[in-house]
Amino acid sequence: MSQWVCRGIKTRIKTTHYPAQAETAPGVSPGLPLGGAYAAAVASLVNLCPTKAISPGLVKDSLIVDYRRCIHCFRCVRGATTPMRWDQGWQWAADGQKCDSVAPGSEGNRLGRVFAHSVHIIVVDAGDCGACLNEVKQLNNPYYNMHRLGFFLTPTPRHADILLVVGPVTEHMRLPLLKTYEAMPTPKRVIAVGACALSGGVFGPSFVSGAGVAQTLPVDVQVPGHPPPPLAILHGLLVAVGRQTPASITSPAPILPEATTR
Amino acid sequence: MSMVGLPLTLIFALCGAGALLGFMIPERRNPALLAWVGSLAALLALWTAGYALFSDRVFHGDLWTIRAVGTLHVSLDHLSALFVFAAALVVLPSSIFSTSYLRRYLGRYSLKTFNAWYLLLFASIVLILIAHDVLLFLLAWEAMSILSYLLVNFEHERDESSRAGFLMLAMGEMGFVALAIILLFLAVRAGSLQFSALQAASAGLSATARWIVFLVTFFGFGVKAGLVPVNTWMPRAHPAAPANVSAILSGVILNLGLYGIIRMNLYLVPVTMLGAGVVVLIVGTISALVGILYASTENDLKTMLAHSSIENIGIVTVGLGAGLVFTAFHLPVLAAIAFVVAMYHMINHSMYKTLLFLGAGAVDNAAGTRDMNRLGGLIRLMPATALLFLVGALAISAMPPLNGFVSEWLTLQTLLRSAEIPSTPIKIVFALCGAGLALTIALAVTCFVKAFAMSFLGMARSTAAGASREAPRSMLIGMAIPAILCVLLGLTPTWILPLLNRILHKVTNSLAAHALVPPFFAGSPGHKQLPRAFMAGFHNIGAQVGENILPGRGLVVLHRGGTANPVVFAMSTFYMAAVLVGMVLITWLIVRWLTRRRTVRVRAPWDGGVRRLLPEMTYTATGFSNPVRVIFDAIFRPTIAGDTKQTVAEHFRTAIQRQRQEVHIVDRLALQPIKSVALRLARGLAALHHGRINMYIAYGLLSLLLVLALGWLL
Repeated sequence: MSQWVCRGIKTRIKTTHYPAQAETAPGVSPGLPLGGAYAAAVASLVNLCPTKAISPGLVKDSLIVDYRRCIHCFRCVRGATTPMRWDQGWQWAADGQKCDSVAPGSEGNRLGRVFAHSVHIIVVDAGDCGACLNEVKQLNNPYYNMHRLGFFLTPTPRHADILLVVGPVTEHMRLPLLKTYEAMPTPKRVIAVGACALSGGVFGPSFVSGAGVAQTLPVDVQVPGHPPPPLAILHGLLVAVGRQTPASITSPAPILPEATTR
Repeated sequence: MSMVGLPLTLIFALCGAGALLGFMIPERRNPALLAWVGSLAALLALWTAGYALFSDRVFHGDLWTIRAVGTLHVSLDHLSALFVFAAALVVLPSSIFSTSYLRRYLGRYSLKTFNAWYLLLFASIVLILIAHDVLLFLLAWEAMSILSYLLVNFEHERDESSRAGFLMLAMGEMGFVALAIILLFLAVRAGSLQFSALQAASAGLSATARWIVFLVTFFGFGVKAGLVPVNTWMPRAHPAAPANVSAILSGVILNLGLYGIIRMNLYLVPVTMLGAGVVVLIVGTISALVGILYASTENDLKTMLAHSSIENIGIVTVGLGAGLVFTAFHLPVLAAIAFVVAMYHMINHSMYKTLLFLGAGAVDNAAGTRDMNRLGGLIRLMPATALLFLVGALAISAMPPLNGFVSEWLTLQTLLRSAEIPSTPIKIVFALCGAGLALTIALAVTCFVKAFAMSFLGMARSTAAGASREAPRSMLIGMAIPAILCVLLGLTPTWILPLLNRILHKVTNSLAAHALVPPFFAGSPGHKQLPRAFMAGFHNIGAQVGENILPGRGLVVLHRGGTANPVVFAMSTFYMAAVLVGMVLITWLIVRWLTRRRTVRVRAPWDGGVRRLLPEMTYTATGFSNPVRVIFDAIFRPTIAGDTKQTVAEHFRTAIQRQRQEVHIVDRLALQPIKSVALRLARGLAALHHGRINMYIAYGLLSLLLVLALGWLL
């Protein structure tokens, strides 16, 4: 016991400084492929992708990567003659696909400023393989320590502001998921974590599981990755409360009409 | 004289006529007859007893003379009148309740005999209370015992009813024999059967004789009062009887045991020994503790109530014991307080226990079960019953401003006044008893939270409970009467305490009213009885508020310490109720104002996302009381009777069913040893019976010789 205390003092605070400072430790993220111009290798790279995340873009000789489907299997890097460029970051969380009342991208996807430093999260495992859940669990450890940012896990939906869903939503978990959403007080937001929760991933859609959370509930924030590293989930949470700006779910980002006018 | 004599005669005439009339009219009309005759007799008794309570004269009447025995006497003094009044207050609502309750027995059991036994039971109870000689008292006592046995065994086709009835009868007769021996001994000594002669002759009794008389009669009456260690018939007999009879058993017949103890130890052979008071005190505390421990782990609604009756009678007995100890130390004011408080608690117990037993009967009638693990959700199906049961549950858990709070608070305060006793060992006994009582009162809350929550809240745990309907109007009226009385007795202690004090004045020879209820607000004459400086202290805490607003005596019930320890304990249920109502109202208004713009969404309760919430998944009564069972494991001493494991394909265990068996601690420690000794003795004596006729003739001759030798010797 006393040794723990001494050791703790000797070790000092090791918690990451994200989001106040950039995280520099190696290996915190597996990374995701970047889209863009790939000249003659387009066809072979599209064929290499097992989950059809990579598709040819509208511009000639360019590729678009759909992060909803990417499982970062590295086949497009290690097995390719022209390897894809690789994003080593983790700030991937993007706005949702479909929302109950407001269009994605507007302020309506965020919880209000009142929630900025006190957000209660309920996690629902809607049929995931355990990987995403494991990463979610890391948020509570001393290194990522989400409490310092005002995020707390709660076991009851009555206290929850954010519904964090992992897994492709199997048929058996559809009703509990809906019941949990129904039981939460408004305002409430849904975060879908992992490729399975975004598109069904390697499991779905099939006769026992759906193609992601968006089929059942309006998703406000999408966190891609298979599984996403804890920092990516943390980024998703910060996006949900409006403390970080969202990224794009595709690479390169689609050119939206409003983006051009801005 | 005829103001009392005539109605008394009318009560007996009415009960007798009603019992006979029941056999002449069709079966289905009997409940209505019982309700009318029972209520009328109860109202007459109320009127008579009320008249006797407020008049200073003692009614005295001679019945017929039996040659070789003497004249039989009846008398209605203040003590008798108080008990008759309390009995009538119980019989009135249970008679009204019977109208619709008895219909469940129509065609299965004879309602004609029920009607007869019920009315005769009431008559015999009144006769016990007004009997003024040994013979009439013993006859009436025996009639009451047998009639209550017949009513307990009313559902005679059920095995448990018969067994409970036999146990009750056996234990009652044991007590009766003890009483008869002592009373006849006293009568022979006095040369007369009359109670007044017994009282006059008791002065010459030796100390040993006093002890014997005290112990044997305390045992004899204790059987009926349900004191440890002769209480085990109660949790079996009370639930076996129909609900209206359970109410009378608990609300009246237990009081008869207390009446016997008071009549014997305060009037006939006044107890002067300190030890006797301590015995009563300790027996009371143990009864209270044992009663509540078994009550809080019991899942059958009526059995739980019977255990709780043991507890409440224990609390009354503690009050009586404290009074006896105070008398032995020549502290008459404190003794008067203790007796008054004991009587107050007894009446309170009669009221809320009647209410709760009738409530349990209504639940049983509607849901078809009394098992709390099979009930639930009844508050939505029978809201009026639930509300009335809640009043009873709050009262018995000593929640202010209801009546249970007043008397239990006063009992604890009385025990605290032991500071004025000069002996340290007795002080320690008082402190321990006070602690035991405090634990009892705390456990009572657990017990009744469970009873109400498991029966009325949550989900229905069986289909029958889910299909219950609100109780019929006659049942609700029957429950409403004691409920209203519970509230009234709780709000007006300052009127009731002086009244009880006046009634018990003859016993205690001292007035407790001024010590209990200071005449602060009673106008100028009262003020003179208290020193000015003492009054000034009260002005600081605002006790003079309402001096000119509220009528009657003061509204603060108070214990004033002596000069040595000037501690003051004061409370007022009336003010408390007023403040509570005000606070609830203000809070409600504030909450309404704060949430005026809030929209309310109604959603199903959160069930963890399961497909369908089943009643089996919710909290059970067994689970609720498990902490008590674990903490007091040393007292319950459960044994595991059976352990059945359900398995799938040999290795996958799906469920373990464990059956626990509990033997009541009194059975285990007191009755089973006696039983085993008796059996061993019987086995030894059985050796004498070997069937040879010559030996039997020899036995006869031997005994004859023995008798002759004894006769020659003496």
